[in-house]
Amino acid sequence: MARSKSILTEARQIERAVTLINLGARLQVLESETDLSYERLLRLYKEVSGRSPSKGQLPFSTDWFMTWQPNIHSSLFLNIHEYLNKTSEMEEIDTVIKAYQLYLEQTEAQGLEPLLSVTRAWRLVKFVDNGMLTMTKCNKCGGHYVTHPHEIAKHYVCGLCNPPARAGKGRQAGSLQMPPAAARQPALDACEVN
Amino acid sequence: MDTNQILAEIREANLSYMMLAQSLIRADREQALFRLGISEETANLMATLTPAQMMKIATGNTLLCRFRMDDDLVWSLLTSHGKSAANESVSRLHASILMAGRHQEAA
Repeated sequence: MARSKSILTEARQIERAVTLINLGARLQVLESETDLSYERLLRLYKEVSGRSPSKGQLPFSTDWFMTWQPNIHSSLFLNIHEYLNKTSEMEEIDTVIKAYQLYLEQTEAQGLEPLLSVTRAWRLVKFVDNGMLTMTKCNKCGGHYVTHPHEIAKHYVCGLCNPPARAGKGRQAGSLQMPPAAARQPALDACEVN
Repeated sequence: MDTNQILAEIREANLSYMMLAQSLIRADREQALFRLGISEETANLMATLTPAQMMKIATGNTLLCRFRMDDDLVWSLLTSHGKSAANESVSRLHASILMAGRHQEAA
């Protein structure tokens, strides 16, 4: 790829890279979303975060997005992302950044650990773009959730309307908690949708 | 509350709403569209209002912002009456997902 010669473009790319580093993005995200060289990105990374970037491969599996809690977090992020996508025209990576910032705000406001990292959020959007994941409408609450593309839409019920038996049993701080199954009402019993 | 007081409080609420909206739009237009739930055109209008215009618009007997949770589902998730506190964060997250999915109202 031809390196951009424009200083203004480069300034914008550096600014974008700094935002991504501050959000905790892996180096691979920066490499793919900017035209800056690997060496410069590496220096920038150390300068901004004060440490070397983590090594190793990016998480590549779509399965992570399917487990109960990650699915809820991913669905929240993707709904925000879709909202921004529909209402305003931006470059793809800026939509991801802004949607991720809004996602962070919401989890923080609710005292939850943001399970979805910016790298995973970026991967998620890529997975959706190339059809490896999609959003399916829940038949009970009408919300849209991250699913595999071949989910049978007619019968799909989301993990919030119908939590799996083991859901919310983790005692980790900042994770979602559910009352024991006996005491639990399915989330939507109180407001049956006809 | 007598009529004068009602009108004064409506004006106050309208003014703070518009001032907040304007600063949100100026800080980050795209995120503001999400936060406010308004369309691009509305945001453009709001961003260009002068203080004098705002005063004029704010004065009246109706509120300028409307309620965004006008259905039973989101409403009961947010208020989660009759549910244990443990369930609350799940319900709120559920409501957030449903509300974030409503872009057709803004577009």
